[in-house]
Amino acid sequence: MIYSVLIVGAIISICPFVYMIMTSLKELGSVIANRFWPWPPFGTEDLQFQNYPDAIAKAGFDKQWGVPLIVRYFANSVIISVGTIMGTLITSILAAYALTHINLPGRNVIFIAILATIMIPNDLTLVPKVVMMYQLGWYNTYLALIVPFLASVFGIFLLRQFFMQIPKDLFDAALIDGSGHLRYLWTIVVPLSRPAIVTIALLNFIASWDSFKWPLLVTRDSSMRVLAVGMQQFQATEGGTNTHQMMAFAAMVVIPVIILYFFTQRYFTEGIARTGIKG
Amino acid sequence: MRKSMFAVLAVIALLIAACGPSATPAPTTAPAAQPTTAAVSPTKPPAVPTTAPVAPTTAPTAAAVKINNPPASAAEVDAIVLAGKNVQVTYWHNRPQKDQDLLQSMLDEFNKSNPYGIKAKAEIAGSSYNDVYNKVNAALQANQPPEISVAYQNQAAFYRGQNAVIDLTPFVKSTKYGISDADMKDYIQTFLDSDKNPQFKNEVLGFPTQRSMEVMFVNLDALKKLGYDGAPKDWKTFEEAACKFAKDNPGKYGWDVGHDASRFAARIFARGGRILAPDGQSYVFNSQAGVDDLSMVARLLQNKCAVEIPTSESFGNQNRFGNGDLLMTMGSSSGLPFFQQAVDKGGKFKWDIALLPGADQPNAGMDLYGASVSVYKTTPEKELAAWLVIKFLGEKTQTTKWALATGYLPVRQSAKADVIAGFKADKTWGPVADSYAKMFDWTKYSLIESPVAGYDPVRLSLDKDVVTKLIQDPKSDVKALLDAAKASADKVLKENAPK
Repeated sequence: MIYSVLIVGAIISICPFVYMIMTSLKELGSVIANRFWPWPPFGTEDLQFQNYPDAIAKAGFDKQWGVPLIVRYFANSVIISVGTIMGTLITSILAAYALTHINLPGRNVIFIAILATIMIPNDLTLVPKVVMMYQLGWYNTYLALIVPFLASVFGIFLLRQFFMQIPKDLFDAALIDGSGHLRYLWTIVVPLSRPAIVTIALLNFIASWDSFKWPLLVTRDSSMRVLAVGMQQFQATEGGTNTHQMMAFAAMVVIPVIILYFFTQRYFTEGIARTGIKG
Repeated sequence: MRKSMFAVLAVIALLIAACGPSATPAPTTAPAAQPTTAAVSPTKPPAVPTTAPVAPTTAPTAAAVKINNPPASAAEVDAIVLAGKNVQVTYWHNRPQKDQDLLQSMLDEFNKSNPYGIKAKAEIAGSSYNDVYNKVNAALQANQPPEISVAYQNQAAFYRGQNAVIDLTPFVKSTKYGISDADMKDYIQTFLDSDKNPQFKNEVLGFPTQRSMEVMFVNLDALKKLGYDGAPKDWKTFEEAACKFAKDNPGKYGWDVGHDASRFAARIFARGGRILAPDGQSYVFNSQAGVDDLSMVARLLQNKCAVEIPTSESFGNQNRFGNGDLLMTMGSSSGLPFFQQAVDKGGKFKWDIALLPGADQPNAGMDLYGASVSVYKTTPEKELAAWLVIKFLGEKTQTTKWALATGYLPVRQSAKADVIAGFKADKTWGPVADSYAKMFDWTKYSLIESPVAGYDPVRLSLDKDVVTKLIQDPKSDVKALLDAAKASADKVLKENAPK
């Protein structure tokens, strides 16, 4: 019974992905006319693989690098995602460690204050952050795209919960062996917390990879834009949407995320399960 | 030592964390609804009035003219000296990359040909007018506006309320840099008129570079079968045809009711009504035209002659019309090739576009779409350079190229023949070129919805508080719905009125 439910759930979950791939291989007319299977034996349409090169061509060409802009978008998305992940991990690990292993005065108050920032809607801080980027001279630079996201409250929270499960005895033993905080952190705590760290990395990667509004607000040139912003140009105009090309572009955008998840899903599941954040 | 170093590191990490974003990085959803009441600080402190430093060769008296920022008269504009200033102009728009490439190629031409050394650059500021609006508002807060951006008339009014965009009248009238009478006559007059803002004494807060309009799409084969020789020319025939079609074709509908305030506005215009009073001081969509329209909508829904297109079904009317499930629908003329492809793959019938019933009658009209470009308050030199860029983009060659690439209407009459010929030779537009050509004759009926600050929440209210409520309960008192919406719209208008 449970397997039947899981199979049905899996099929439902995969439907949007299948729809995306199918739509990316149709002519626009078939998409608009809601033709589910326009190919033989029910239709006469060929598989429209051309939608992929068309989407790439429509996204434009980067004269500086002499490559299609999608390459530039892809490179930017990778740089920003990797930069954000690295920074977030460093700050989250250090902050979570301090909140669990160092007797800072008012440690719990600090933790609650950090958690409280989750309550502030992102949109509320958007304009002040954009103004800061202009004032710092970071507008249209990677700094604007990375630095504001170098800390993650969720990351701190998740790691703190994880670090709290590590027995104190380990720390005491490490101290006796002459280890300091940093050495203990990097040689004992971090390896033990790999699932939680991978989870944070993956969640940050997805958020960073998909981010649209912020990169749009703080960049000017196509060469600084990311994939999500590049994809926007396929979305609705006043007349209609070139859905077939948008889906082709979306398929190209989403594949890296799927590959990454494929290789890390074991850690991801473990990270969520071991911290008690589960349904 | 190591211990204290670590404590310092930990404290720094905590501080960064506390100052960082509250959750994960920037959301992926489209920007939220436009704020219309948020205060936006003026773009820049007024620049020191620029006096013409060198006597210009063509205007010997110009040096004596004091130039305000923005210039208040054509003479002040004439007195601005651009030579040697190497002014840079940035133009924010919402077009996709292929249009950006075309736009930049046109601007490159301008950069090479203008005698003042102006360098213009186009930048994509988003994919929707909302994106550009949000980006402009953030840039205004940082005192970093572009020199030019696309803006709908109501958005331009909002910027003007913050003293952030300028009146282009002195630039248009400038003898040295303005547009000649002959050129002004070549511009489609109703396009120009749409940028005169009633809230600001008819100041010209934008200039048109493109336009489209709300039209009616009709299934000619089905109409013929029902005994009609073309699109209905009055609302009684429209209603009758819709119901005949629905009756003869179970599961199909004569027309659709979409969740779009512009569709409602277009019908009001076609009935001789207006959304906003001519003086811009109150909304008037609760007039008899509004009551008649919503009464018709209610009857069509109650009699199962019309069907709702839910908001989740984006451009659903194109699909349904293309499949032959709707006799008539309405939409932007820029959807022409989408409709063509839907019909080609769907019902494969003869179709065309038409005026909304009654739109050619006295006092009636068509809903005109299309943002203009506005110039931000920076310095008189930059403002003039921005104007010269706009003037260049409005020339016949440029507006023809732009119309051919985007499917919008060009802004000049003289471009008509070239644009239609170009469309006929184009694979996408060829099949709809004749339909497109009709719109040139319809431009004289153009009307715009509401060029006042704060119109966006009113648009939402028209859908949520009027159209949606009527769909949910077609027996509603339409006059009461309209009166209530008008009252709240007037409140928004008052809140956003120029202070």
